[in-house]
Order: sequence, then C-alpha cells, then structure tokens
Amino acid sequence: MLMPSKVKFRKQQRGRMRGKAWRGSKLSFGDYGLKVMEPGWITARQIEAGRVAIMRFIKRGGKLWIRAFPDKPVTKKPAETRMGKGKGAPEFWVAVVKPGRILFEMEGVSEVDAREALRLASHKLALPTRFVSRTGE
Amino acid sequence: MAENLKIEGNIREDFGKNAARRLRRSGRVPAVIYGAGSPCTAITFDPRPIARFIHSEAAHTAVLTMELPGTEPARVMLREWQTDPVRGKLLHVDFVRVARDTRLKVKVPIHVTGEPEGVKVQGGIFEFVLREVEVECLPDDIPEHITADVTSLTIGRNLRVAHLPTGENIKVLTDPDRVVAHVVALKAEEEKPAAEGAEAAPEEPELIRKGKAEEEAEAEAGEEAKEKK
Repeated sequence: MLMPSKVKFRKQQRGRMRGKAWRGSKLSFGDYGLKVMEPGWITARQIEAGRVAIMRFIKRGGKLWIRAFPDKPVTKKPAETRMGKGKGAPEFWVAVVKPGRILFEMEGVSEVDAREALRLASHKLALPTRFVSRTGE
Repeated sequence: MAENLKIEGNIREDFGKNAARRLRRSGRVPAVIYGAGSPCTAITFDPRPIARFIHSEAAHTAVLTMELPGTEPARVMLREWQTDPVRGKLLHVDFVRVARDTRLKVKVPIHVTGEPEGVKVQGGIFEFVLREVEVECLPDDIPEHITADVTSLTIGRNLRVAHLPTGENIKVLTDPDRVVAHVVALKAEEEKPAAEGAEAAPEEPELIRKGKAEEEAEAEAGEEAKEKK
C-alpha cells in the first residue's frame, strides 16, 4: 500500500477541505480518467483496491497512473479507552481530495474497457466519481 | 472549418469577481483580447458556439473571427482558457489577435496512425508520451495536427520530434530529441495473496528528525569550537 517513506511528524491534525481541486484536475498522462466529485479522504487501502480492480480487469495491456498519494496519517485510540492520555497511534494513511481531482488515469485500452475498469475501481471508493476522457470531458 | 466560427463579443465595463460571477450567471463568459500591437481589451461573449469546440484538439490551432461592436472583425486564436474543475464550464478565455504576416508560436497536436509492430507482434504497450509540439509559422500555415505513422515501432524503439513530418514553412521549436511515442515491454504484475496484505500491519515511516545522540554530539562540537576561539 502507498505511504510516505519518511515523515517529519508522526501525527497530523484533521484539517479542512474547502474549495475545488484546481491542480490535478485535468488529464495529464492518459486518455481516460476517474474524477472525484466530492471532498473527502481516500485511504491507501481504497487506492490499492481500485488499482487491483483495474489491473485485474485490463489484465495485459494498458497503463495506469495513480494521481493521489496518501500522505496524511490518521490516528485512532484503542477500543475501550478513557478519553485523554494523548492522541492515539497512527492507524492508516489517507489522501485528501477535493472535487475535481483526477484519481486514476489510463491509456492503451479501448474506451469501453476503460469505462468498465474505472467503474469497478469507483466501487472501491467512498466518494462519488465521474469518468472523464480527453475528447469528451 | 474553425475560420467560419464567429464569436460576437461585447466590451466589458464591470470588473472584479463579483461582476464576473454575475456575468457567468447570465450565461456569458468574461474574456480578454490582446496582441498584434492593439491594446488589451476586456470583453464578454456567449460561449455556446465554441463550447464543444474548446474541448477538441483543434482549439489550440484554429483561427476564429471575433466581432466587437464598433470595430472591424478580427482574426483571433484561443491562447488560454480556464474551466471549472467539477462542471467543466468555461470561466475565462484569452484571445490573441492574429496578423497575417507575423509568425506565431503555437502548440500543434500530434496524431498517430497505425498499430505498432511492437504491440501487434511482440505484445508490448504503446505509450504516447508527447501529445503536442510547439511550432513557429504564419497563421495560414498552422496545421490542424501533425500525423505520424507508428506502424514500424518495435519494443525499445521510439519516435522522436525530429522524426515528425512537418511542412517546409513550419519550424519546430520543441527539442528534436524528445520522445513522442514508444513501445515498452509489459512488466509482470506481481499480485500478493490477499490474506497476507490484510494481515500485515503497515509499518511506520522513518522520522526526519535528529536523534538525541546526534544532537548531543553536535552541541559538544559547538562548545569545543567556542573554547578554541
């Protein structure tokens, strides 16, 4: 699963997700892509599940780009713990995405296959998404 | 084709984001027109005639006709445009006036034809790396696109900018050594068993922080240096 190799601080505050994704909102590498339509967190596990779903569908042929990196640690307190005693331990990693962000890009497959592969990947995510292509965005 | 596209614009007198948003709500788009020695003018226009056209590749190279009240129709090109990342609606457009006798720098899309041998016979993947090249030419010589045949590409071979067929009146400004397209061999996808992936807890990344021992050693070295002085 994706995660940073080095970090400056182990834990982060939650932050806010205002506005739209002005960067990373256009297709830069491939012909087809999956665009996120709402703000939210996408976990490293969801990204990996989406990647596996796409790669299993396209089997051989085709190239995939992942345009979001989970660089934010999310902490969790252990079960049945009283409040206080400090922040919990880092549990998983998320990518913060804003509406308009391209999450996956594909190339080297037909549009029908790209649509189906990205549809399968979209079911692994917790946010609404839309299929985009270079010609008919 | 695009030369026939006429855009009827109006001079814009209200500025700022409030006015621009009011304008967009009324169905028009704020724009600016400049170039060819004439002053920069803020305008508005109805985006419907170019709404579909602007998402096509021809949008970069097409010469359009702009009609503004009280002026002669001008030949313009789309220099830059901004779209909403979610809805895809046009937000603002930069038009540049085009003079017939002045050479322009434009980005021309590259089209590839044929199925590469490396894909057909050797089972590789075709990668289209560079999708447009910058060229310099007169407005009438701007090609809609540059077509390159990739049938002979095998695994490990590539098509470079220097190999692109361009006309005599066109000067390519992009580095001739840049790779346009190539065929690469497929990498075997290693799939880990699902159970293993689920059980293995993610390790924590390394902290970019100096350890206590290092900090102490640095402090000591600093003190020694002071004493010597």
